Amino acid sequence: MAFLDLNSINTYYGRSHILFDVSLSIEKGEVVSLIGRNGAGKSTTFRSIIGLTPPQTGEVIFKGERISGLRAFRICRKGVGFVPEDRRCFPDLTVRDNLEVAARREKEVDSPWTVDRIYALFPRLQEREKNLGSQLSGGEQQMLTIARTLMTNPEVLLLDEPSEGLAPLIVSLLADMILRIRKEGVTVLLAEQNLHFCAKVSDRAFVIDKGSVKFAGTMKELLANDEIKEKYLAV
Amino acid sequence: MDLSFLTVQVLSALRQAAFLFLISSGLTLIFGVLNILNFAHGALYMLGAYFVYALTLHLTGPAGFLIAILAAPLGVALIATVIETGLLRRIYMQEEIYQLLLTYALVLIIDDLAKIVFGPEFKSIPKPEMLSGSVTLFGGTVPVYTLLVVVLAPAVALLLWYLLYKTKTGKVVRATSSDREMADALGINMSALFTLVFAFGAVLAGLGGALAGPVRTVFPGVGTEVIIESFVVVVIGGLGNLWGALVGSILIGSLETIGIIVFPEFEMALIYLLMVAVLVVRPWGLFGRPLKIKALSEKNLAMEAQEISPVHFTVHPAVRWAPLLLLLLVPLFAGRFYQYLLTQIFVASLMAIAFNLLLGTTGLLSFGQAAFFGVGAYTVGLLLTKAGFGTLPALVLSPVVAAAVAGIIGFFCVRLSGVHFAMLTLAFGQLIFAVVFKWYGFTGGDNGIQGIRVNPIPFGGMGALDLGSTQAMYYFVLVVVGLSVELLRRIRSSPFGATLKAIRENSQRASFLGVNIKLYQWTVFVVAGAFTGLAGGLYALMEKSISPEIIHWSKSAEPVFMTIIGGIYTFAGPAVGAVVYVILNSYLVAWTEKWALVLGLVLLTLVLLLPGGVVGYVNEKARQTLGKLRCIHKWPFSKSATS
Repeated sequence: MAFLDLNSINTYYGRSHILFDVSLSIEKGEVVSLIGRNGAGKSTTFRSIIGLTPPQTGEVIFKGERISGLRAFRICRKGVGFVPEDRRCFPDLTVRDNLEVAARREKEVDSPWTVDRIYALFPRLQEREKNLGSQLSGGEQQMLTIARTLMTNPEVLLLDEPSEGLAPLIVSLLADMILRIRKEGVTVLLAEQNLHFCAKVSDRAFVIDKGSVKFAGTMKELLANDEIKEKYLAV
Repeated sequence: MDLSFLTVQVLSALRQAAFLFLISSGLTLIFGVLNILNFAHGALYMLGAYFVYALTLHLTGPAGFLIAILAAPLGVALIATVIETGLLRRIYMQEEIYQLLLTYALVLIIDDLAKIVFGPEFKSIPKPEMLSGSVTLFGGTVPVYTLLVVVLAPAVALLLWYLLYKTKTGKVVRATSSDREMADALGINMSALFTLVFAFGAVLAGLGGALAGPVRTVFPGVGTEVIIESFVVVVIGGLGNLWGALVGSILIGSLETIGIIVFPEFEMALIYLLMVAVLVVRPWGLFGRPLKIKALSEKNLAMEAQEISPVHFTVHPAVRWAPLLLLLLVPLFAGRFYQYLLTQIFVASLMAIAFNLLLGTTGLLSFGQAAFFGVGAYTVGLLLTKAGFGTLPALVLSPVVAAAVAGIIGFFCVRLSGVHFAMLTLAFGQLIFAVVFKWYGFTGGDNGIQGIRVNPIPFGGMGALDLGSTQAMYYFVLVVVGLSVELLRRIRSSPFGATLKAIRENSQRASFLGVNIKLYQWTVFVVAGAFTGLAGGLYALMEKSISPEIIHWSKSAEPVFMTIIGGIYTFAGPAVGAVVYVILNSYLVAWTEKWALVLGLVLLTLVLLLPGGVVGYVNEKARQTLGKLRCIHKWPFSKSATS
């Protein structure tokens, strides 16, 4: 059994059917990419895993335990961290407070994240410690949301389009950070439109389109598969 | 003005501000986190005062008094916890208006329960001797108790600041208030936090009541006066903002004190004027920020899907006209009482359907419709009694004047949305109420206008229509209301109405399509105001006496009730609600003194069990049945609702 398993989940917004029998499986310690265009169902997949938009059928299994059907905060407390695509720092809280409100599961992991460890990974955040979330630049906000989710000490991190809207320089910094996060023992599921970014950080990939999985394989296989790339990724 | 006078007045203003702050800080905290405008906050304040009253009957002396003051807020918190976990929690997924209504139902219930337990009379709470004296400050005599309150409130403000900004729980509370979903995904237990915040807000309300009890009197319903003042405070300060509550309290407290000295006649109107003035300059209050445009949540999407669902049935015209025919025949077999009751229902229906053009169709919750109703009624009343107008010209002018007033008020209100819109309409309504209530020379003040003579309506050369009998009035109102309702129905199903629905569903998208949203909202506000004014005009004709009560905000709550009872997303819903409400109201009043309690319980049950209203429920059932039939018979036009 894999570390995180999605067994043919179907998710709806009201009466609109969004995800059709989506199945994914991720092993411990991997960085896996979920690639697809706008509206392909990447965010909905993440929202289904974290429990914000629970799937109506199918199940999500994390470490051998069914987590679908639990409420979002319970899923978070099981060790699933979610970084939304639109950043969403708490605007009225300082950078430090943004981190502190998220601190949890310190006893469940061997070396829990502390504010100091976070600052070592993201020195920029320390410089802006006393600034409010609303005063940060886009790149800083992205770092803060990732850092904030790390404070929940997740064992798997769901990163939703972290490179979106960031300058190329910041994007390559981000790739480094993802690899360092992985080194810390965190499994990462990365939703992206940017194939090259994924190629830098992940070993395996799923391609999703119109709410169903069209491809599953290694990154190498995907890069070699022109048909899939052309049809679903338009690269 | 000498120093002693100034000292006394400043401290009196500060005391007033202190009470206001205790209540409105809790109100704003609850709004900030739970996103609920808690109408029952005033009732919680009242309970705080009653608990002190009950406790001091047994506990005497300064120590007893102190224990009572401290224990009362905790008792209130306990009740609040029950309310939050037992009732409010069930409807967080519903639209804001249902939460508002649930807390309103609680006001009716708690007020009546207080009447049963403590009696209807005014209670005063004795202060211990230690606190009853007064001291001389700068030559002015100031009660010790006032000093105590004036010192205590800033201490509470400081404590609140510490809790919210320096403790982890406080930070979590602030984080949650800015982004609930994110907080949820970060492992914050929202249910527990909501209960905590609601109970804590109740402690503040209870403390306000406990401290105010000994200087103000306590009676059932005292909370209603307090809650409206607090609404004004938090709206001026900015909903959900603690500093706003503080500054707003000081402003209103001072203004009330100055008002009593300088313009005793219009003290009440003054605070509403200030609110209007602030909102004109800063629509979201002094410290407030515009509410974020809600992303399409799952709930909204679900509603949208329902709205565009192809399983839609139109009522055959014959079915629509049958009730009208039936109503024409009613006087043949029903007595005067029933005719009168039905006439009342017609007027109420018109008001409710016009109101729902705002709420159900456009998504604007107006809490000031009584103002237009009142303007219509007073137009007819004044024109008939003072200007010697004929019945028909006076009635025709009632929607015109109401529309003009709605045009002015609407100009300011449509700049806001959601709860802010509701609050501003409420304030304007109360402003008009305050003016009518006090302007004895023109409106008759609280005496109203009695003995309105309804002259026969000349009918060309063919005699006149005498409205003197109940039956004639019945037919007259039936025809006027029938025509108006048909007109409203056409407006709703016209392209104009479709645009209004688009604005309700997603105003952002509608504006991308080039719709001038504010203009549409203003227009529909004026149209609804006109029909409400006409309903008021009819009311003046049938009742022949009017009083300012019909402008009071509690009258504005009636069309809200009716619409919710009947169903918000249907055209006929509000009329069905009017039938239920008027009948319930008139029988309950006759049957029991506890009618508010029963009404509250009915409303509570409806909000919890039938959030779509009676007509919505019937429609849904019909839809399900029809849907099943279609599945079985594979009707050719059964398209799937999903794409």
